[in-house]
Amino acid sequence: MSTWLGLDIGSRTVKVVLIDGAGSIIARALAPAGYDGPSVAGELIAGACAEAGVERRLVRASVVTGYGRVRFAQADSEASEITCHARGARHLVPAARTVIDIGGQDSKVIALDEAGRVSDFAMNDRCAAGTGRFLEVMAQALGLAVDQLAALHALAEQPVPISSTCTVFAETEVISHLARGVPRAGIVAGLHAAIASRVLGLAGRVGLRPVVVCTGGVARNAGFVAALGSAAQVQINVAADAQFVGALGAALLALARRHEGR
Amino acid sequence: MARNYPRLESGGELTRLMIEHYGQALGRQGGLPVAWVTSGAPVELLRAMDVLPVYPENYAAVCASQGAVPLCEAAERLGYSRDLCAYARISIGAAAIGDDAPFAGLGRPDLLVACNNICGTVVKWFQALAQRFAVPLFILDTPFLPDDTINEHALAYVAGQLEDLVRWLERRAARRLDRARLADVLALSNETVALWRDIRGLCRAHPSPLSVPDLFVTMAPIVSLRGTPEAVAFYRMLHSEAEQRVRQGVSAVAGERFRLLWDNIAIWPRIYHFFSQFPRRGACFVADTYTGAWDTEVEAGEPLEALARTYLGIFLNHSLAHRAERMAQLIGEYACDGFVMHANRSCKPFSLGQPVARRLVTDATGVPGLLFEADMADPRAYAEEAIAARVQAFLEALDGRAS
Repeated sequence: MSTWLGLDIGSRTVKVVLIDGAGSIIARALAPAGYDGPSVAGELIAGACAEAGVERRLVRASVVTGYGRVRFAQADSEASEITCHARGARHLVPAARTVIDIGGQDSKVIALDEAGRVSDFAMNDRCAAGTGRFLEVMAQALGLAVDQLAALHALAEQPVPISSTCTVFAETEVISHLARGVPRAGIVAGLHAAIASRVLGLAGRVGLRPVVVCTGGVARNAGFVAALGSAAQVQINVAADAQFVGALGAALLALARRHEGR
Repeated sequence: MARNYPRLESGGELTRLMIEHYGQALGRQGGLPVAWVTSGAPVELLRAMDVLPVYPENYAAVCASQGAVPLCEAAERLGYSRDLCAYARISIGAAAIGDDAPFAGLGRPDLLVACNNICGTVVKWFQALAQRFAVPLFILDTPFLPDDTINEHALAYVAGQLEDLVRWLERRAARRLDRARLADVLALSNETVALWRDIRGLCRAHPSPLSVPDLFVTMAPIVSLRGTPEAVAFYRMLHSEAEQRVRQGVSAVAGERFRLLWDNIAIWPRIYHFFSQFPRRGACFVADTYTGAWDTEVEAGEPLEALARTYLGIFLNHSLAHRAERMAQLIGEYACDGFVMHANRSCKPFSLGQPVARRLVTDATGVPGLLFEADMADPRAYAEEAIAARVQAFLEALDGRAS
């Protein structure tokens, strides 16, 4: 079987996807990026190939994206995350016109034209507020795992307003709420609302045309998605395998580049 | 990194010219009084009175291209905020550390002339310099043009101040304004401005003979030496070099595929590094909103009124709508495929409203625009990875539109 490989070496995690000629995922793998994303990527490729029963050297082509893309020598070519997320999301949700990706250290809103080409995009500027890392820091301050945030959000009666957009100051704010005995559920809902409002600020620059698809690790947090949907007054679709959308897009690009003879 | 654009032959002459200019300013050749001025000051009056104008903004840009963090920090130690314009911080920081500043500093001014047509920061910045050096300061106040027209009140107000400026200079510099000399300087200034406009206009050619980074590098004389025979001679040389490139089909960027418009001041600390991302993908900046700030000749007629009109009418003293229209016009004239806006932390008047302007320009032209944050002079505001990701995504999207 012919296979194509996509890698997303992000700031927090590394994702690897193998697809077949129809664009279906046949293997995938994910691990924390640690301090050496490219070597983690190498291990994940070996694992994914073993899972799919494919020899690495027989993979037809590969594309790498994410912050580690420039330093990763084992891929045939590289592409920006914007291009890859757009392609991956459009493949999963063919009617998608807006992609909201919230990764470890950046959040982005991508507008697609009818043909699925990137027509505009906006990214957070030099600040981690409104990213996955922001939630990790807050979860730690609350004594929670990131995976527990959604369940707690569901218990909140009223979100507690979080006014700081800076990760460090927001953490201080969380701690002071805790010190005053504010229940954690309300704080969690407040944090989700703060990220949602930050993301909507970005969306305001490029528009929020339905169908809206949310990708990236934070899309797996149902509490955040609910906060975003209610703030935006629009239905938010969560991509299947949300964390793998960038890597899937990269694999699809590898497949397409072959077709274009590049 | 290999250069993928041809070097300008005029570059050597430019270096010689600017070294001579700063040598004059620092060495006080001929004993001329030195006035530190803002980039939008009516320098023709000073030149006509043999007052040597020196530009802290230009000095700051030169320092920035060599790394000006220590100068910024020197100003910050004095209590100036990091949010203050980096040119102001570099200038104040350089004054504070004296001989340790690049080129042993900018020396001392005898006079200061600030015109607020470019921003409000210059007023406080030059007041700080006036205090430090204990020298007199003249502030020329040019009202903002919210409806983009120069009304009679504004004109009379500024022309009146120019009369005051002449008297002030006559007293401080112990010189009389010679009207015939002023006419000569204005003629030289106009010739420089016309040449510069024509040079920029040559970039309408396909492929473009020059790119905006070339203009950034060669703009120093239009700012600092406007109204001198040396500036005219230099721009004649650059004009003929660019014209020759057009005739021979020499391009600034090999394999020009995309033509772009640049908005805002350059990123001096990373100018080559930043702009090298574009030629690699066949993208050439063919026009910009910054180097065109010096493209209005002083009209014939009563010279002070004509100067008032010119210095009131500069780009940054206009409304956002006007600036967006101008960008759309440039995109049409230069056949641009997209535009890139530098949200410059330092320069608030240039950067405020850019998200709105971006939308207006795209609505008017149909071409996409990239907006990203950096700074003209403070490298600490430059986020390497984040900027590279945006630029790459933008160029990939242009590629996608083209295919």
